[in-house]
Amino acid sequence: MKNLGSLKPSSLRRIVSTLLLAPFLLAVLYPFLWMVFGIFKTNHEFFQPLRIWPMKPHNLEYWKGLADTFFPNEFNFINIHELVMGKWVPFWDVFANSMVSSFCQALGAVALSAMAGYAFARLKFKFKNVYFVFVLALILVPRQLFAVPLFSWLNILGLNDSIFGIILPGVITGLGVIYFTQVFRKIPAEFIQVARTCGASEFRVFLMLLSLIWPAILSYGMIHFVLAWHEHLLPMLVLSTESHQTLPLALAKLYDVSQRTPQGVQMAASTFSLIPTALLFALCHRKFKSSLSDMLVH
Amino acid sequence: MSLESNGLGAEEFVGFENYYALANDERYFKSISNSFIYTFASAFLIVPLSLWLAHLLQSTFQRLRPFLTFGLLLPALTPPSVLATLFLMVFHGREGLLNQLFILPIGLAPINWLKDPNFILLGLVLQTVWRWTGFMTFFIMAGMEGIPKTYYEAAKLVTSSRWNQFVYVTLPQLRSVLIFVSIYLFIDGFSLFSGAFILLGGSGGTADAGLLTISYVFQKTRFFEYGSAAAISISLLPIMLFSLYVFIFLRRRYV
Repeated sequence: MKNLGSLKPSSLRRIVSTLLLAPFLLAVLYPFLWMVFGIFKTNHEFFQPLRIWPMKPHNLEYWKGLADTFFPNEFNFINIHELVMGKWVPFWDVFANSMVSSFCQALGAVALSAMAGYAFARLKFKFKNVYFVFVLALILVPRQLFAVPLFSWLNILGLNDSIFGIILPGVITGLGVIYFTQVFRKIPAEFIQVARTCGASEFRVFLMLLSLIWPAILSYGMIHFVLAWHEHLLPMLVLSTESHQTLPLALAKLYDVSQRTPQGVQMAASTFSLIPTALLFALCHRKFKSSLSDMLVH
Repeated sequence: MSLESNGLGAEEFVGFENYYALANDERYFKSISNSFIYTFASAFLIVPLSLWLAHLLQSTFQRLRPFLTFGLLLPALTPPSVLATLFLMVFHGREGLLNQLFILPIGLAPINWLKDPNFILLGLVLQTVWRWTGFMTFFIMAGMEGIPKTYYEAAKLVTSSRWNQFVYVTLPQLRSVLIFVSIYLFIDGFSLFSGAFILLGGSGGTADAGLLTISYVFQKTRFFEYGSAAAISISLLPIMLFSLYVFIFLRRRYV
């Protein structure tokens, strides 16, 4: 693999493509940087309008106008302090709730959909296609529709206002089942044959295959963690006590105009809510990518 | 559920009443056509753009590549409610970034992106492009890295143009990735709510110009009209299943 001299792009090519990418990167990152700098701004600075239009880019004033609305006048940490000390929402409770529930959802979803995927890919049973259509429907039908029936079931189970009320419905996913069906289809049938001949039970075979597909497991776990982290509707219906709520709900409360929360606090909360998912991807994205390349191309 | 009456608690069976009501509902048809425009427009913008970006990423400096990819991926990792606040800055009717940096300098009047019925859909498409392009680039890049290098070596013997290499090696090898990406965008456009929610808070915007089917469902559930909401969703199922069938057919045929 090392000996690919002629296929490597030339340095000129590398520089040009980096330069071409730069504007896209800027367009993506600008709002995020603005958000991070927003933490340190007072409300007055925050709402300062951007009025640079009649000026031209070769004019220094143009850039000054842009910079004025972008950077804070001074870095004061009062907004972060207020958020962390829980002046507006019980931030750490909410953050921990979100962590625990997203993690459990990811774990449960992986376990459940890996089993379902194995069944769909490798076992024969009656009405398999009908079940598969149900799985597809699970993706296609809007979640809002399930809200009320789900809520009444959770009431019967007594899981109202408890974190398990979020985790339990959160482990069900159509996407995961389809993903793992694809993954298990890729595994050579001989492996399973051999295992069965050796007298392994069906569950044992499944466990053995798990060790083969662990990059796929990691990838789906990550995807599901992110989805669970963003989930808004169900927590809104189920969780009523403030300290039991999850992060999206707390964010919605902070954004609410009637609460008079300073904009800087909102931006701080937004930044903090982005950190776990971003960190997760930053740490594992190589693994994630290689498992995707394996799955997508062949 | 789609055969029951609206309201909470005391649902009763009403047969196909909800469907008859839909057939005479102008907003329903408007929402469907809007959804179609929105989904296809964003897919047609995102797929070529992310192909190009993935190609560029492949040929940047190896050290920089993870950082660039991660930067592009960031919007997909952000909670929708956070994006909502960020977009207010971009799409603001006068002082928004889009107006100040692009629209005014080319000599046009400032566009009120979120209020003007002519531009709401365009705004929706733009935010979708902004949000998903990086993520799709990531998928396509993963696909590109899986293509065996020997294919390119073989191609180099036949043709020296990079464009030909792209058309005859990269694109055919990426078929399954591209199909996956299209399915994802299709489902996101039709039945995921976050896009419309980010920009318009679930409403249809001025004169319903940005009313997507999914926001219509949301509005119905908000007023506890569960019967109608279910009817709308069920009426979409044939469209969705048909398109999925087309995708699966393409997959069988060409992959």
